[in-house]
Amino acid sequence: MGDSREAKRVRNLLAAKDAALNLNLDLSRRDVLKIAGYGSLAAFIAACGGNNATTTTGITAKGGTMSLGSYNTDPNSKKGTQAIVDAFTAANGGTKVKLNTVDHGTFQNQISSYLQGTPEDAFTWFSGHRMRFFADKGLATPIDDVWDAVKSNYTAGFEASIKGNDGKAYAIPTDYYPWAVFYRKDVWSQHGYTVPTSWDAFKALCVKMKADGLIPIAFADKDGWPAQGTFDILNLRLNGYDFHTELLTGKQKWTDQRVTNVYKKWSEITPYYSPAFAGLTWEQGADQLLRKQAGMYLLGLFVSDEFKASGSAADLEQLDFFAFPDMGTQYDAEKALDAPIDVYMLTKKSPTLQTDLGQAKAFMEFVAKGSTQVLYWQNAPGSIPTANDADTSTYPALTKKAVQIVSQAKKITQYFDRDSRPDYSGPNGMQGFLLKFLSNPKQDTTSLQGQMQAFWDSLPPE
Amino acid sequence: MSTIAASGPRTVVRKASRRIRPARVILHAFLIAMVALWLFPLFWAIFASLRPYGDTVMHGYLSWPANGLSFANYQDVWTQAEIPYYYLNTLVIVVPGVILTLLLASMVAFCCTQFSWKFNLIVLLLFTAGNLLPPQVIIVPLYWVYLNTPIANLGSIDIGNFSFAIFSDNNLLYDQYIGIILIHVVFQTGFATFVLANYMKTITKEITESALVDGANVFRIWWSVILPLCRPALAAMATLLFTFMYNDFFWALVLLSHGNKRPITSALNNLQGEFLINYNLIAAGALLACLPPIIIYILLQRQFVAGLTLGSTKG
Repeated sequence: MGDSREAKRVRNLLAAKDAALNLNLDLSRRDVLKIAGYGSLAAFIAACGGNNATTTTGITAKGGTMSLGSYNTDPNSKKGTQAIVDAFTAANGGTKVKLNTVDHGTFQNQISSYLQGTPEDAFTWFSGHRMRFFADKGLATPIDDVWDAVKSNYTAGFEASIKGNDGKAYAIPTDYYPWAVFYRKDVWSQHGYTVPTSWDAFKALCVKMKADGLIPIAFADKDGWPAQGTFDILNLRLNGYDFHTELLTGKQKWTDQRVTNVYKKWSEITPYYSPAFAGLTWEQGADQLLRKQAGMYLLGLFVSDEFKASGSAADLEQLDFFAFPDMGTQYDAEKALDAPIDVYMLTKKSPTLQTDLGQAKAFMEFVAKGSTQVLYWQNAPGSIPTANDADTSTYPALTKKAVQIVSQAKKITQYFDRDSRPDYSGPNGMQGFLLKFLSNPKQDTTSLQGQMQAFWDSLPPE
Repeated sequence: MSTIAASGPRTVVRKASRRIRPARVILHAFLIAMVALWLFPLFWAIFASLRPYGDTVMHGYLSWPANGLSFANYQDVWTQAEIPYYYLNTLVIVVPGVILTLLLASMVAFCCTQFSWKFNLIVLLLFTAGNLLPPQVIIVPLYWVYLNTPIANLGSIDIGNFSFAIFSDNNLLYDQYIGIILIHVVFQTGFATFVLANYMKTITKEITESALVDGANVFRIWWSVILPLCRPALAAMATLLFTFMYNDFFWALVLLSHGNKRPITSALNNLQGEFLINYNLIAAGALLACLPPIIIYILLQRQFVAGLTLGSTKG
């Protein structure tokens, strides 16, 4: 019996030799799967074993550990963040990433105590004034070396958005979304509406919509911030990017005649707003558009989330948008719009940053890749990748159009509450003042503007 | 004789109740309206939690569910939001918190009521006065105290994705279960001392004195004589303290920086996204978070009622 087994082995060996020569391995699909399975298991075990080995090359390091504080709690973005982290671990020699997820609202409210306490090595944040504020306070680590390595992958607009007041790079921009006027294609073709390109055409369209029994402009300001989107775009169109950013950072006065003009123009469209808008959440505004009760809605691309949440793909397909109409000023040419950019940054006071700096920088380089950002976008389609080498071929029409209007914009702002100081843009500040204005838009705004300026002046130095 | 006396008035009452007086109708209409008013939000939350979000988006909240009711939101909350882990977090905070508070408070109450010494009234006053301090006042100094207090790091117990540190996993009091437990103990001890002291005043001092004569030391008297006598008060306090600590939202939010260490009440925040808020899902989560105190209340109703009137009369 032993002999015959030996003979069989030799025969098999010879057969295998032949087979190898002919490349006729005769593997079934199952065998292939099995081998792949064992292979990946082996790779997994190897990865587990290699967790603590750190190899440093230049500014980055492989293996080891790092930690990440994330505000992505909604299911889609949470999945997206996890996908990025997993891909990074696989690509960076098994670096173990400790992920701390805290909901968006709490994360923002507590950012100051978070960054001064025991933060993670890296964290999710916003570009613009909110980033520069913490950079100035010395609570963020500059990453010029990482930025030099990845900046060829970004446009100048993005580069400007992540520079601190000291000229150093502090963040890696990973995604953004534009603000525009959204509408339903089917409702518009039913009534024969066309996209207005001028202020007068826009107002004429509102009149027509009202006559057709629609709410011309869905508007929902229960949470205070949505009205700031309208202020931003009107101020940008009427007074230009420079005035807008200077106004929001206190270098111009709120009592300026140019601000008065913004309110005057704004009051021309307020009669076409949703009734009882002060008690509506943005979701309820989106529902008015979804249910064909409203004709237009000025909001961020995230309005598509509500359409998606309805579970009706047919409705999502009808969603389209256009850039805010021109106002007939010299600033129309800027094509400026709000397109808030989300970023990753490095903290300063993380207890582990000393040992993990190489891994954390490797992570920053990793999120600057188009492939990483597309991975996130596939999970959270409301956020558009920022890198030049992101593969745009799989974008749906809505995303493609969003990329297009942002690339046409010569100036990009980050939204009121990211461009100004948080205490000024909050409920005690502009959110409240704008609601006061909207409660009686035809009023003489002189005293209201006086209050706005007085509130700014009353704030302690940042 | 007593039966006759008792049955007399009862028949009178029965006769009176047969006549329906307008005042009574108004009273009952008022009562029913009040009950409806109080229960409405609860039923509304239950109703919303049983509807898929897409359904309310398409038809609004004031509509009859087109696609029927389902427990899908509860399933989502249970799995996606990992609610079971957050229940565990709460348990890890509340159980040691309640036990520690009761032990410490009963010690203070024991010393201040069973012995006469110079400052016993002042000490008792100090503890009760602590109740009057609004906790929010000390939050900033507390934050810095927590950030600068070193605590031993003795490893941790890992359950699934969650890791329960023994004492501390970052060598600080900040962002630790023990920090939350301690602050609860500090703020609840005042109230517990007040209530337990009132109860212990009803225990005659002669018991303590005779125990002393029998040769028991002070610790022994506290543990073997007074604590067993206080069992009803301790049970009532334990149920009250449990609900107080369970319902805490503030400390966990301020003194924990890790999302996965939060107790269930503050963990509900994790169901909100940056923009989109699924209110139906939150309703389901909130109802699940309500369950344990309701169950405790039903099981220990008697202690609750006793707890509310505890020490209100001196025996």
